[in-house]
Amino acid sequence: MADRFMSMRNLKFTLHEVIGASPEGSGHTRKSMDMVLDAAFDFAKKALHPLYEEMDRHPPELIDGTVSVHKEMRSILTTLGKDGWISAIFPEEWGGDNMPPSLLHAVCFIFASANYSASVYSGLTMGAANLILTFGSDELKRTFVPTMLEGKWQGTMALTEPEAGTSLGDLTTAAAPQEDGTYRITGEKIFISAGDHDAVDNVVHLLLARIEGAPAGVKGISLFVVPKLRPNDGALRPNDVTVTQIFHKMGYRGAPITALSFGEKGDCTGYLVGEANRGLSYMFHMMNDARLEVGMGATAIATAAYHAALDYTRNRRQGRRLTDGSGAPPIPIIEHQDVKRMLLFQRAVSEGALSLILQCSRYEALSHTAPDEEKADYHLLLELLTPVAKTFPAEMGILSTSASIQCFGGYGYCEDFPVEQHFRDMRIHAIHEGTTGIQGMDLLGRKVVMKNGKALLLLSREIDKTIKRVQDYPALQAMAQALSEAKETLSTTTMTLGGVAKEKGPEAFLANATLYLELFGHVTIAWQWLLQMGVVSEKLAGQNVRKADLAFYNGKLDVGRYYFGYELPKIGALSIALAQPALTLEIEAACFTD
Amino acid sequence: MEILVCVKRVPDSAENEIEMNAEGNDIERDDLVFSVNEWDNYAVEEAIQIVDNVGGTVTVVTVGDDESDEVLRREMAMGAAKGILLTDDAFEGSDCKGVATILKGCVDKGNYDLIFTGAQADEGAGAVGGMLAAMMDYPYASLVNKIEAGDGKLTIGREIEGGNQEMNEIDLPCVLSIQTGINEPRYVGIRGIRQVSGVEIPELGAADLGLDAAAVGEAGAKVKKVDYFVPESGDGAEMLEGSNDQIIEKLIEILKANGGLQ
Repeated sequence: MADRFMSMRNLKFTLHEVIGASPEGSGHTRKSMDMVLDAAFDFAKKALHPLYEEMDRHPPELIDGTVSVHKEMRSILTTLGKDGWISAIFPEEWGGDNMPPSLLHAVCFIFASANYSASVYSGLTMGAANLILTFGSDELKRTFVPTMLEGKWQGTMALTEPEAGTSLGDLTTAAAPQEDGTYRITGEKIFISAGDHDAVDNVVHLLLARIEGAPAGVKGISLFVVPKLRPNDGALRPNDVTVTQIFHKMGYRGAPITALSFGEKGDCTGYLVGEANRGLSYMFHMMNDARLEVGMGATAIATAAYHAALDYTRNRRQGRRLTDGSGAPPIPIIEHQDVKRMLLFQRAVSEGALSLILQCSRYEALSHTAPDEEKADYHLLLELLTPVAKTFPAEMGILSTSASIQCFGGYGYCEDFPVEQHFRDMRIHAIHEGTTGIQGMDLLGRKVVMKNGKALLLLSREIDKTIKRVQDYPALQAMAQALSEAKETLSTTTMTLGGVAKEKGPEAFLANATLYLELFGHVTIAWQWLLQMGVVSEKLAGQNVRKADLAFYNGKLDVGRYYFGYELPKIGALSIALAQPALTLEIEAACFTD
Repeated sequence: MEILVCVKRVPDSAENEIEMNAEGNDIERDDLVFSVNEWDNYAVEEAIQIVDNVGGTVTVVTVGDDESDEVLRREMAMGAAKGILLTDDAFEGSDCKGVATILKGCVDKGNYDLIFTGAQADEGAGAVGGMLAAMMDYPYASLVNKIEAGDGKLTIGREIEGGNQEMNEIDLPCVLSIQTGINEPRYVGIRGIRQVSGVEIPELGAADLGLDAAAVGEAGAKVKKVDYFVPESGDGAEMLEGSNDQIIEKLIEILKANGGLQ
């Protein structure tokens, strides 16, 4: 059981029994979904996981203008392309499987828990291909998408610039129209994941730039396909895209992050995607998916770290019970109360987050497949929960992987065990695809207030459904009541902040948005735990529960009890802080003198 | 070349914590996660590669219950063209001879040039392939790790004690038990799964195979498992603790002290 990086039992439980991911219309049955999960696990175990440490210890290098990555990445990408993993979400005409979102996220979870760095290359290509297929011309689709989906060309998202990160409206990369309908691109981009590497034959950047004469700010941004090598008369020719730097990162080292220069020689061609000046809205169309993927990556890393900690604490013998005599043999450290508490915390975070993200993907599916009158509601729920599903695992995952290290004691801080790498790999998730600060403002400033607060009302109804569902189980009543009160706390806090917005304006309203997001996260994860406990209680009330299921289900009840006992109460402190005027409004930057 | 590959659904040792059953004569099987026997993957891969080179069809067959179709579908998703599930209450409790008898019934109904089994499966007997060959009066080679298809015969390599290798010619039709390492089995992908997920897999029982139910299953078993246990750990084991470097250093010290290293 050593070297375990995830639990297939828990993934299938969450996907099938808790979320009840409906494969309706996708051509999938539960059995075929399980075949997909098993196949993904087999690939993750045999192809991705063995490289987990090696890719970290031998990170990409910039050699003669090209980024050199681990030599196995080419074969991994080719297999992912050939076997249909990269095209999985697309329609059959593109070699796809119409894979439902919940199954896609479950597959991403498996790959990322085995080796986060190795898993991101194909995910980026999938996202870039999705943009071209959704908004691009037929010619762009034909020229770029098939080879990308084969895993032979890498896709990227080239948004960030040295002076335009979070504030994309400030970007300066320019696009000059040419007579043939293409554009001449000039500018610099930084932090471009998989922006160049030698495991593929070409790199296709989905790049944001401003067409000459376009309006300033976000309204003048357009989206372009800018390949590293441009197809020309059946050949690939250099397109004046230069790697100026690769970044040496804290973690997630197996995937290169590059700085790129476009058009240094005045010969970089870009192809407009969709309409001019609509680039940012196209990008935001993909943002929910991208953010859920980041949340899933964080969840996967926390899961892998938990399994490493679990294995170690079961086998490491050290110390005795306080009631044992000094002659008693040492006990496995999992028997120590504080170690047990840390393991419960890790499970509560990772399994709660997994459930929330799969719940979001269910809403995503329903926003397309539900009866017309319900579609908009599911979309609102997805919109509301996306910043939470991104941030809770990203922020709590830092604490969770830290607890994994703590379980190992001094060894956890050393490279001999994988948890220090999990901790390093985790840290990026609170930063990329919108920092936690941005997610907090997105939640409170946009999502909560949109449609006059309808999304929050819909969430409240979803939570009430869960509370009602568990009403027949006495053991869950105290927790159902706690969730009901937590929901009330969230509602009261939201009203209070709404008042602040009216009285003092947006700066005061959003000053503590990150704390609000934290509170919101605890309430929604508690909801997911009560839901899981309800499902478990229904199963246990049934006939012929298998012995292994009994242990699994009882474990679920224990972790759920932990969440309600130890984590949810933290919203009390948060709600008190949020009820006060934000101190940061009073404190001047000048106070930071020493 | 028509190739039949015999596969088995077995407990996945990487995904299970094995426990004894209440009777103490077997492992607890109800709660296990199952997958295809690892050796069988190599056999299926080899069959697919032969057919890719010389033409023909790969068929996979298993003896099992209604859940065993999952391993057939998996191997079909790898590239086997057909699957056959041999299932009947009468088959339960079969010993190796019983399983070989059931498989012979399937072989008799087809027209196979070549039959593969894995070198062994979860129970470790490695006997079914040899018994099947004997029942069919086919030539048999075990632990095969290399195959070159020729005209009416194969050239095969076998792994021999001490890491040695021997090469043989064997006439077709024949039965070969395939060793791991003969190839690198391909992964199952989405495309393969899509092709097989809705395919009907024929199920054949004792009557379909022309078998006497008393000759197979528990009734026909001549070998019966009477006990099953985890041997008690002996004394003298020492668990080395510390970082990898510390463990290596201690290990070298111990080996030197005991004459294992000069």
